[in-house]
Amino acid sequence: MSDEMAEIITEFITEAEESLEHIDPLFVELEAKTYDREILNEIFRSMHTIKGAAGFLGFQNIVDVAHRSENILKKLRDGEMTVSTSLMDTILKSVDMIRLLLRHIKLNDGMEEDTSLLLRELDEALNVSQSSTAAETINTEALSSAATSAQDTADGFDINDIESIQANMHKETDKIEESVKSETVIQPLPSKSAVISAPEGSSGATAVKDVAQTLRVDVNRVDKVMDLTGEIVLVRNRLLNIANYLENKYSEDNHVENLLSTVSFLDLVTSDMQLAVMKMRMQPLKKVFGKFPRLVRDMAVSLDKDIELEISGEDTEVDRFVIEHIGDPMVHIIRNSIDHGIESMEERRRKGKSAKGRLSISAFQQGNQIVIDVSDDGKGIDVEKVKRKAVEKGIVTDEDTLRMTEENAINLIFMPGFSTADVATNLSGRGVGMDVVKTNILKLNGYVDVVTKKDAGSTFRISIPLTLAIVQALMVRIDQSQYAVPLAPIIETIKVDREDIGNVSGQKVLVVRGKVLPLFELTEILGFGDMGNSDYRYVLVIAIGERRFCIAVDDLLGQEEIVIKTIDGINTDESYVVGATITGEGKVVLILDLAGISRNVMTALKA
Amino acid sequence: MADTKIKVLVVDDFATMRRIVKNILRQLGYENIEEAEDGAQAYTKLKGGGFQFIVSDWNMPNMDGLELLKKVRSDPELKGLPVLMVTAEAEKEKVVEAIRAGVNNYVVKPFTAEILKEKIDRIFEKLNK
Repeated sequence: MSDEMAEIITEFITEAEESLEHIDPLFVELEAKTYDREILNEIFRSMHTIKGAAGFLGFQNIVDVAHRSENILKKLRDGEMTVSTSLMDTILKSVDMIRLLLRHIKLNDGMEEDTSLLLRELDEALNVSQSSTAAETINTEALSSAATSAQDTADGFDINDIESIQANMHKETDKIEESVKSETVIQPLPSKSAVISAPEGSSGATAVKDVAQTLRVDVNRVDKVMDLTGEIVLVRNRLLNIANYLENKYSEDNHVENLLSTVSFLDLVTSDMQLAVMKMRMQPLKKVFGKFPRLVRDMAVSLDKDIELEISGEDTEVDRFVIEHIGDPMVHIIRNSIDHGIESMEERRRKGKSAKGRLSISAFQQGNQIVIDVSDDGKGIDVEKVKRKAVEKGIVTDEDTLRMTEENAINLIFMPGFSTADVATNLSGRGVGMDVVKTNILKLNGYVDVVTKKDAGSTFRISIPLTLAIVQALMVRIDQSQYAVPLAPIIETIKVDREDIGNVSGQKVLVVRGKVLPLFELTEILGFGDMGNSDYRYVLVIAIGERRFCIAVDDLLGQEEIVIKTIDGINTDESYVVGATITGEGKVVLILDLAGISRNVMTALKA
Repeated sequence: MADTKIKVLVVDDFATMRRIVKNILRQLGYENIEEAEDGAQAYTKLKGGGFQFIVSDWNMPNMDGLELLKKVRSDPELKGLPVLMVTAEAEKEKVVEAIRAGVNNYVVKPFTAEILKEKIDRIFEKLNK
């Protein structure tokens, strides 16, 4: 296969997948409205386009499936068939089949799918409609015979000019018009005669839309630019350092002044470039959210629940990496909400709620965090049940549960090996628990929280930093070592004296603005053992989700923009280190994983 | 034999299709090819001038191929431009409409370079008469 061909096929797969993604939510919308010509036309067009390109590339199996569903869609669009749940299922099945076929092409795995069953189903769906409208068949035949003769004329070698074809066409259309007229006695055929009636002119959708100027770029190229930008940021940091040093030493020198102004310009440009590259990687959450209407619809149908889905903030942009990794945990949360959260219709009625359940997904930016909420109006999480289950599974002891706050107890659902459903349904209880959700979100440097109220519902809140590669960090010194601490979760830094630190049943605590917060020493957390004599003079107050705690450090060295470089071969879960960076001085410094620290030390605290 | 130096506009909303059509046109020796995503964008480009031939898809958002064709034919500056419509089997019955609207020829998807060449040659043969 030539490179050109391989490239075209790759492009086709991407574009076809995007098309399918785009029409997925439309199906759900359509099912609710039963008939909407615009939506049907859009779905039809996507199918049609995929079929057309697949034909060129020789993917006959895709053509077969797309062609049949296209025929059904056309009839639906033209009002010759009506939308039903079963028909919708059949069309959705073909969408899924095309997706599957595309994946095989993409993976080049040589696997074949048996489409025969689906093709038969599609054919049957189409036949049902055809036998039911006999008069329509006659007209279609008349029309297609006209078209065929038109084609024959156009294809023939003896055409003199287009006029003759037109004249011919007029004759043909006259004939059809006559036949239509004779039909009208039996049955009026408004929509079909419209096809051959006088051209409507250029009415309708002639609105000239602003056409976005876009360029498709290979992701690897963007990532490369991102990497290089990171390197430039590091070099800039070093240059700034050197320039500052020189300024102190040779403040009189003209060249030093020039160097300083040049470096500060470089500083500005680098920041702008960083922002521009970051934006280049940003994509709207729509890409992920677009799949949810279909997911919710399919689940609601199979569980016989009535669920209304509300999505907002889908235009919020996040890093491409987040787009790729936020889908799975969100799907899991949504499945859980529908399966375990939203009650059956009878149960809801009994409780005096509306039979229709509500699931809302919203996204918004808050400071330098992106927040995604998934809320349901279901039965809420039963705290007592969660506690019982956790004890049963041996995650905590009976005694532990007595000391737990409600919030901490609910967070037990995120513990490995936990699953609340008494009977695992085939929808959400697949052996993967909410702990996987948590782990996946942690990989994005984010965290997930849950707020729940009995019979009012639950809200899962996911918070993710806006950018993943470059972060603002606070440089701290502990003993002889320097560490970088991501700045976002730090609420404040406080200078303390040793005697300010209290002790509550063996746990060091600090009173911060009237609140007692646990205080940890990094030497302990990192497993260096208690140095005993380090006189930490500063405390970082950290907030991860709803949790607050303090970390004692020896010195604050300043704020720096750092580029996170992952370290191969270390287990971030256990080492509390997310990666390393190179400082302005050229030193390699470890970056602390506050989310990991929060998770483990706080859990240890409770146990 | 049509002149391969002419400036061609390929109109299709599906990028892969534009690429495929462009590829086939290149095989036939056409190098001066521009693209448009739909009828509306195509019309703007055409008004910019310099085009001698249009290969347009039928089914597109905003402004479809037929509307584009009608718009071209009713525009005093553009009305003489030859238009080749790319259609699918399913649109066969609508070809009547395209011919009425003054399309120069049409080609059914999928097509080969030979078929396209034949269609283009025929269009220009007739125009040059």
